[in-house]
Order: sequence, then structure tokens, then C-alpha cells
Amino acid sequence: MSHLFEHNGAEGRGYNQPPPIVGADKLRFPAGLVRKSLPKWPRISEPEMVRHYTWLSSRNFGIDTGFYPLGSCTMKHNPRVNEVIAQLPGIADIHPLQPEHHIQGTLSIFHEMQDMLAICAGMDSVTLQPVAGAQGEFTAIRCIQEYFRSNGELNRTKVIVPDSAHGTNPASAAMAGFEIIEIPSKEDGRIDLEALRAVVGDDTAAMMITNPSTLGVFEPEIAEAADIVHQAGGQMYYDGANFNAILGRTSPGLMGFDAVHYNLHKTFSQPHGGGGPGSGPIGVKAHLAEYLPGPMVKRRPILPDDKLSNVNVEWWYTWHTPENSIGKVQQWHGNSGAVIRCWAYYRRYGKELKTMSEHAVLNANYLRHRIMEEAKVAGVRHLFEDGAPVEVVKHEFTLSLGPLKEERGVGAMDIAKGLLDKGYMAPTVYFPLIVPECMMVEPTETESKEVLDEFAKNFVEVLQEDPDVLHEAPTSTPVRRVDEVYAARNLTLSYPFEEE
Amino acid sequence: MVDQLPNLGREKEMLAAMGMDSLDDLFVDIPEIVTMDFELPLPPPQTEEEILSDARRILGSNVALGDRVNFLGAGLYRNFVPSSVFQLISRGEFLTAYTPYQPEVSQGMLQAMWEFQTLISELVGLDVANLSVYDGSTAAAEAITCSVRVHNRKAVQKDTVYVSELTPPDRLSVIKNYSQGGGIEIKSLRHNADGTLNLESLSEASGSCGIYLEQPNPLGILDGGLVKVKEIIGENTAFIVGVQPTSLGLVEAPGNYGADIVVGEGQALGSPVTFGGPIYGIFACTKTYLRQMPGRIVGRSIDVDGKEAFCLTLSTREQHIRRHRATSNICTNETLIALMGAMHMSLLGPEGLRHLAIRNMGACQLAKDKLAPITTIAIPHSSSAHYNEFVVELPGSAAECLSYLDVNGLIGGFDLSNWYPERRNWLLVSFTDQTGASEIELLAAHLAAWSASKLQGAMT
Repeated sequence: MSHLFEHNGAEGRGYNQPPPIVGADKLRFPAGLVRKSLPKWPRISEPEMVRHYTWLSSRNFGIDTGFYPLGSCTMKHNPRVNEVIAQLPGIADIHPLQPEHHIQGTLSIFHEMQDMLAICAGMDSVTLQPVAGAQGEFTAIRCIQEYFRSNGELNRTKVIVPDSAHGTNPASAAMAGFEIIEIPSKEDGRIDLEALRAVVGDDTAAMMITNPSTLGVFEPEIAEAADIVHQAGGQMYYDGANFNAILGRTSPGLMGFDAVHYNLHKTFSQPHGGGGPGSGPIGVKAHLAEYLPGPMVKRRPILPDDKLSNVNVEWWYTWHTPENSIGKVQQWHGNSGAVIRCWAYYRRYGKELKTMSEHAVLNANYLRHRIMEEAKVAGVRHLFEDGAPVEVVKHEFTLSLGPLKEERGVGAMDIAKGLLDKGYMAPTVYFPLIVPECMMVEPTETESKEVLDEFAKNFVEVLQEDPDVLHEAPTSTPVRRVDEVYAARNLTLSYPFEEE
Repeated sequence: MVDQLPNLGREKEMLAAMGMDSLDDLFVDIPEIVTMDFELPLPPPQTEEEILSDARRILGSNVALGDRVNFLGAGLYRNFVPSSVFQLISRGEFLTAYTPYQPEVSQGMLQAMWEFQTLISELVGLDVANLSVYDGSTAAAEAITCSVRVHNRKAVQKDTVYVSELTPPDRLSVIKNYSQGGGIEIKSLRHNADGTLNLESLSEASGSCGIYLEQPNPLGILDGGLVKVKEIIGENTAFIVGVQPTSLGLVEAPGNYGADIVVGEGQALGSPVTFGGPIYGIFACTKTYLRQMPGRIVGRSIDVDGKEAFCLTLSTREQHIRRHRATSNICTNETLIALMGAMHMSLLGPEGLRHLAIRNMGACQLAKDKLAPITTIAIPHSSSAHYNEFVVELPGSAAECLSYLDVNGLIGGFDLSNWYPERRNWLLVSFTDQTGASEIELLAAHLAAWSASKLQGAMT
């Protein structure tokens, strides 16, 4: 056990700094503003600090550690050249308030990314400013809100979400001030057009939906759904969390959506970093473009008076804020470092991004098939059901462990913990809420056939494990099952220093 | 041909196992009417070395702050970050992990974030901190909506929050986007001619849900008046303070002079400027606000063997559980950058933080001393104490002066007419631990030369 706050060395600092250019005695403060006691931070040397964090890292599981089939999260390999590029001074050491002629390189990459993302989603205009998927949702819903306000349609106060939606959808729309109408999914998890027809009206602002759905199933009636919403005068919003399934095969634009967010940290390999940073650009159709947050990048042919740029000889890049912009959602230009990484990623695929999605779907279907096969051979196929009884899934699939729970008292969480003992990250559990004892599996395209075969075998082994063993699992992890109730009842949210 | 796919060339074999013979079979569920029947109009795939070479050329065409003598800050500060920080966060166990939903295999990040919460709590003098929001502006916006949730019931001025008139427009714009949905009205707090808060204006805020001020303020001023604020506004109005975190090595922690919520741009601790993102927003508060707080929180717990263990806690505030009734829509945050912050804070230690603050403030003081004697320019708030930056009033437009400095190899600061349109001649100059005395000499010489020529030009 290593505790940061138990390091209290005498030297007082982990790295030496040069002396100040003016001594503390020359500084003056308003009355009452001088800090009386310093924060109780550790006094730790670099060798100890490096060892502390290395030890912590050894107690953490990342994609680099092993298979990470966390549904809805698209845990694909993060190419390392992207990290090298993000450390270059041309991105790490530039300031968002520098003049345009200092940052032509970054602006050109922004422009390329705006274009690429618009093309991939079938949208007309893209802003890179939102820094996470949820913020992208919020931003797009704000644009839709302003669009209706400008048109004098103040009655459009409701946003429709299916009950299978990501929690961020209703949360983002509610934050923008909308009332949420949740509609039930059909038995097979698909969108219920009748339920949709029953709720749309002249108070509908938008419908928020992800396709493929959170069950990993493509909504074949999506164009009809879009028609229903459009005919009622509403807008269609595409949650891009599952974009990895369809890139190059279809697009939100083709499906009839008006706005979309992209999760660069899912589809375009920005590392998740243990919870962030992400990046959540949005794309919109032309009628919403004037409301996007600014500034965005546009380009014009180079003029004789421009300072010479090393980027290219054709174009000069400038900032541009749309006419009726909603303003900003992050103070600067979004998570630019993430955008640069994802630019490097996209360059690696170029027009073959479709292959990426095809392999994501290939792997998901193959793994689903292998799990079914292994379960049949072992005679335990009856212990779980398909979350959605479909021929093919897209990038992920769901299983319901309801029968297992009933027969053996073993739930999805127990299986998850059993998989941890096998050296895997567990799939997403208990989401979407509409599938009982749900387990949501997303292998991504960067796993080999061998890994998938092995996982299928291990998954079925865990299913057959003695329930008592599973209730006790995990046993091989740095700690065993953590008591979340204890954490909430005995709130200890910081290190409990002893009173001096 | 791309190179990131282990199963490339094995498609047939895998398809055959499923009784299929074409990748198209996997997409039969996509109706023809929405099928993309054209190739993406994008360039062909590149190799790693081609991408790296392009990146070096394109990004190399930017002017990096380190390439020049730099006085641009205005909310982001170029402090030194020790090398070990970059080395450690590149460990795949941190870098490539998702949110720690399975605590048994995520103890490393959970403990690191619990330690981060402690470091921030200690820094700002408040009970609890979350494990980051997106940036300083979203932190301020979330604090404002949080204050309304907590205080609206008892507030006399319902749905009303007061914000300093000096708040940079981009930050204010974020605040307005976040607060308009709740019908929150943002009113303005005035400042005196010396840049400090007008305490009479503050009394108008009494009975509202909250007030938002910054220390140092956007003009770099350390305002002693803030220690009186809580007494004036009273218990039922949240006192929200935005901080530059390195300043707290010298400046009293806002929690010790009555702040209820402290937010700020964490960037100066742990992160390069990075064009303004990814950076991290600090959010800390007293226990009163805990259950209305946005974002993730780590708690200490035990495992079934009674061993110390960490997990996410109070999740019932969050969107994945509470959906449209959540305190915020935030899901993905800035954990890895917060981790960089934690590493930097650890290495600094209390005395190192103080030393860093002295370096930042000392550079600013030296610059004030060197610019004050130049008769052709003025320092409008010279009677106030400054941290990191101050305003220089020029005999011509700041935009023009910046162009002159740029030609001479200096990134001269920030043209404040971008924030305050009537202040065409105000230049915000910024200094950090990375500013050398000789660079300040250079700035003084160039400002003297430019302003003299400007005045001469005006006379002839």
C-alpha cells in the first residue's frame, strides 16, 4: 500500500526550481489575503513519486493490459504515434489567443477535420468545440433551441428519447431547458413508431436517438421515424456514440438526421484516459449551421498580402463565427489536443474508414456467434438470452442473463466479476435498462480472432462456474468486491489528516 | 491498405464460421434507402511515418510560445511541468483505461483521483472536490447552476446569480449557455476604477442565489475586498470564487475567507497550454453543496475482506442513473489531465507551490517596476497588487502595438478590446515562472520605443 499523503520528507520539494527573479520580500498583498498555512500536500521526492504512480498504474486495467469489451465505449487500440504528435510544441505549446498567422498549421488541421467529419456523417457544417459527447449533445440541442426561437416556434419545448437511450441524452436536453418525453421500445428493442406517432406534435423540438441502438441493433425504420418527427416540425438528433458501427456504410445524413455529435474518444481513438479527456464535435445540416458555437475554421485562397505560411501555398485559414451563434460551450477551442490525435488516426485510414467499421461489425458478430457456439457445446445455451433476437448485430451486442439469475442466482454483475478473474475487463452491465440482467459486449476492430475465440471460451466457463465461487469473485484482483454502500454511508472523500 | 486491424485478410475465415461469405452479409439490416452507395471522398490511407512527417511539417509551421519571448496569458499560463509527469501519464494502464466502473481492477486511477480530490480540497480550503470538469468556464457555469439548485427555495431574488462585469465574454458565454435552460438570470457586479470589486454593487446581490468573482480577477488584480464578501451576501447566497491555482501558494485559500464553491482553470498545475484543451476545470465546495455537485466523486471504502479500497460514490446525482434529473449531463471529464495536475502538485509539495507562486508573482512585480517609469505608457491599476498579469494603457491601440511587437519577435500580450470593446488601448501583459528578467527588459524597451514613436507620430 502506498499513500501519497504519508510521504512527508524533509526537503520539502520534489524538484528544484530556479530562484525567483524578485524575492518574496518585494511582494505586497492586500490586508487579509496572505495565505496563513500552506496546503497539506505531500513532500515527496521524484524517485518516490515515480514509484507511487507506477504502483498505482499496476493496479489499473487499460486496453493495453487486456481485452476490454466494454459495450458502448468503443475501447479500441490507441495508436501511439498520435501521442507523439500531440506532444509537439506546435500543439502543446500554442495559445488559443495567438493571432491567426501564428497558427495556420493548427487551423488547417481543424479545417481538414471539420470537412472529414461532415463528409463521414453526411452533414453540412461541423464545429470541433464541444469537449465530450454529452457536451456535444447539449450544444446541438441548444442550436435546435435557438433555431426554433428564431422561427418564433416557442411552443417546441419537448424532446423525445427512447427508453434505451444513453443517460446523457435526457440529461443534456433537460439542461438546455427541455421537457423529456421517454417512449418505450418494442419487444425486440427497436423503435416503436406507433409510440413515436403518439407523442409527436407541435410541441416537439427534437428526437434524440442513437443508431445502431444501445442494443447494437440497426433501426431499419429510422427513415420512417425521421419522417414522423419532421412532419411534426421537429428535428432529428443523432447520438454518435455508436458511429463506429456504420462509418462508410450509411450516415446520419442519409438516415434523415439534422444534427449529430461525434465521440472522437470512441470512433477516432482519442484515449479515454481513465475517464477523459474526450472530444465531442457536432455536425449539422445547413439550416442549423448559423447557430453553431464559434469560432470555426474557414479558408480562402491566399492573397499576395498574406504572410507566407508553411502549410500550403493555396489556402489561408481564418476563424469565423456563425451569424446567430449560440456562443461558446468551452472557453477556448475545445479539446484541440484530442482533435489533433484523431486527425492522425483518420489519416491512417483515409477513405478506408469503412474497413474500420466493417471489422468492428465483423468482430462483434463473430464473438456473438462464438459465444453461442461455445455455450451450445457446453450445454448452457439456455442460461442466457439474446438481448435482441436479430440475425446480425452491428458493433456490439447484448445478452440477458435473466435465466441464469433465475436458475442459479447468478447475476450479470457476478459474471462480470468472474471475467475479471479471467484477466478481462468486464463488459458493460445493467445497461441498457430495458434488457434484464444485461451484459453489453463491444470487442472493437482491434482485437484478433484468437482473442475473441479465447474470450468466448472463458465466458462460457464463467457461466458454468459454481455460483458460490462467482458470488465471491473476484479473488485475483488488487482488491476484492468493493462495498459501494459503505463508501456512500461513510463518506471519506479526501485523506483524513490527523488534527494537529 | 490499413495497418491497425489484426483480422485483415481473415475475413473469409471468420465469415465462414458464421455461415456467411461476404462482409455485405453483416450489413443486410441497413435498408437500401439509407445505404451509402459511394466511396468516402477522402484521401488514401497513410503510413505512420507519413503521418508523423506531415504533422511535423504542418504543426511546425505554427509559432510556439517557446519559440518567442511571450507575454500572453489571459487565463492560460505557461508554467514548467516536470518531465516525470509526461512519462507517467503515458503508461497504458492510465492512458487507455475507461471510467473506473469496475473498481476491483481500477484501484490505481480511483486512488489517484481520491488523492487529487484531497490535493484540491487542501489547496482551496474546502471540504470536497470532484475529479474535474472540462475547464474553468464550465466549472464556473456548473457552480452557478449548482448554487441555484441549493439556494433558490429561500432566495429573495429567485433564479438570479451575479457575475463580475470583468468576466471574459467567452467565459460568460459558456455560463449563459449552461444557465439559460434553468431560466437563470445573470446580473452584473461592478468594479471600481482601481479594478477592485465595488462593494456597494455587491449589496445588490444580497438575497440572490449566488455570486461569481475571480481571484486574481481577469485583470490580474488580487482583491482584498473579497474577504468581506461572505459577510455582506450572507448564508443563503453562494460565494463562488474562480482561482488561478498556483496563486494559492501565496494568496489565502478562498475557503478560508468564506467561499462556498471554488472553481478554476487547473491548467497551470500539470498541463501545457495546449491551445486551450484538453485542460481541466477545478470544482470544490463545502458539504452544503455536495449532493448538488456535478461530476464524478471517488470515495474511500473497503472490500469484502475489509481491505481499503476506492470506488465512485454519490452516483445518484449523475446522468447514467438520474437521467433528466441529474445535477449535470457530464459523463466523460478530464481525468487524465487532472492526474497530470495531481502529479505536479505532489512534486511541488507545499513549499514548492509557494516558491512557484513567488516566481509567478515576482516576475509580474518586476515587470511592473520596469514598466512604471516609462512615461509614454500607464499602468491604470498600479495601486493594486497583481498576480501573473496587469494592464498597460498605451498611447495607441493594443492591436497595433501587438503587431509591432510580433514583427520584433515578441508575443506581446492580449488586446483587451477583445473583451472590453471600449478599451482599445489596454494591453494585458502576462508573466510566469518561465519569464526571465532579460525578457522583461526587452518588453520594456520595445513598449517604450513603440509608444514614443506613436506619440511622436501623433505630434507631427
